[in-house]
Amino acid sequence: MSYLEDDLKMALRRTEPPEGFAERVLARANGPAPAEPTWWDYLMVLVRPPRVQWVALSLIVSVMIPAAGVYRKERQARAEGERAKQQLVFAVHVAGTKLHRVQQKVLEMGRMDTRL
Amino acid sequence: MKILRSLTLCVLVGAAGYGQALDLKNLDKLAEKASDKVVISLDGSVLKMAAKFLSDADDPDSAKIKKLVSGLKGIYVKTFEFEKEGEYSPSDISAIRKQLESGWSRIVDVQSKKDGENAEIYLKTGAADGGLAIVCAGAKQLTIVNIVGKIDLDELSELGGNLGVPKIDVEKAKPPKKDD
Repeated sequence: MSYLEDDLKMALRRTEPPEGFAERVLARANGPAPAEPTWWDYLMVLVRPPRVQWVALSLIVSVMIPAAGVYRKERQARAEGERAKQQLVFAVHVAGTKLHRVQQKVLEMGRMDTRL
Repeated sequence: MKILRSLTLCVLVGAAGYGQALDLKNLDKLAEKASDKVVISLDGSVLKMAAKFLSDADDPDSAKIKKLVSGLKGIYVKTFEFEKEGEYSPSDISAIRKQLESGWSRIVDVQSKKDGENAEIYLKTGAADGGLAIVCAGAKQLTIVNIVGKIDLDELSELGGNLGVPKIDVEKAKPPKKDD
């Protein structure tokens, strides 16, 4: 008989359960059903490392932060552009109105000259 | 060497472009006295950005303004309205007129005693890219407009005519017959 067989026999030898084991198993089986997991249990699942959720969350955050920065920058540029547009339209209208009024005056004076 | 030459050229062109705008800083002091003021300063880069935001759907004039500003390098407007007469002095305007003495030609000078408003229009001469200056001085109002770049006066006037003022075509309008 080899040492291996001896070792296996020793490892797989029949042992008696500890005292009161059968009673404890029966009591557990007949006891109340485990409670339904609450929202807190679900939340705690997320924070139990290491989890795929953590990886997913990190990925989302790493994408969201630069995206938010780009969005903010674009929004700022758009606001500046809109403001510049309003100023441009107003400036052109002021310049145009003044030029137009001068033209009107020249025209009025021309009319007056022809009347005289 | 080529890069250095290009850079020098860029700096010179930039300086020339900047130098074409009138210096209106002497009018800043009027802002405190004015009851209403409008100060608009749009240089080339801001003009380009603003033009990008002009869409035909916004306003029928947008397309015209877009076309008008395509050749411009700057628009500077200062308008002051005062509660009382004599809030600004003639020296405020003469400082600007002095800048318009060389390189500019006065094409219109209207002096109206009836409403006390004087208006002058200057065009930049001898420069490839042109320019326009309008000086309107009333008893209680002062407006200076400086446009740097090539500008179509008819188009600009037309845009002014659309702002509640009926359009008048100076060339086409016939004077009334002389009464005998």
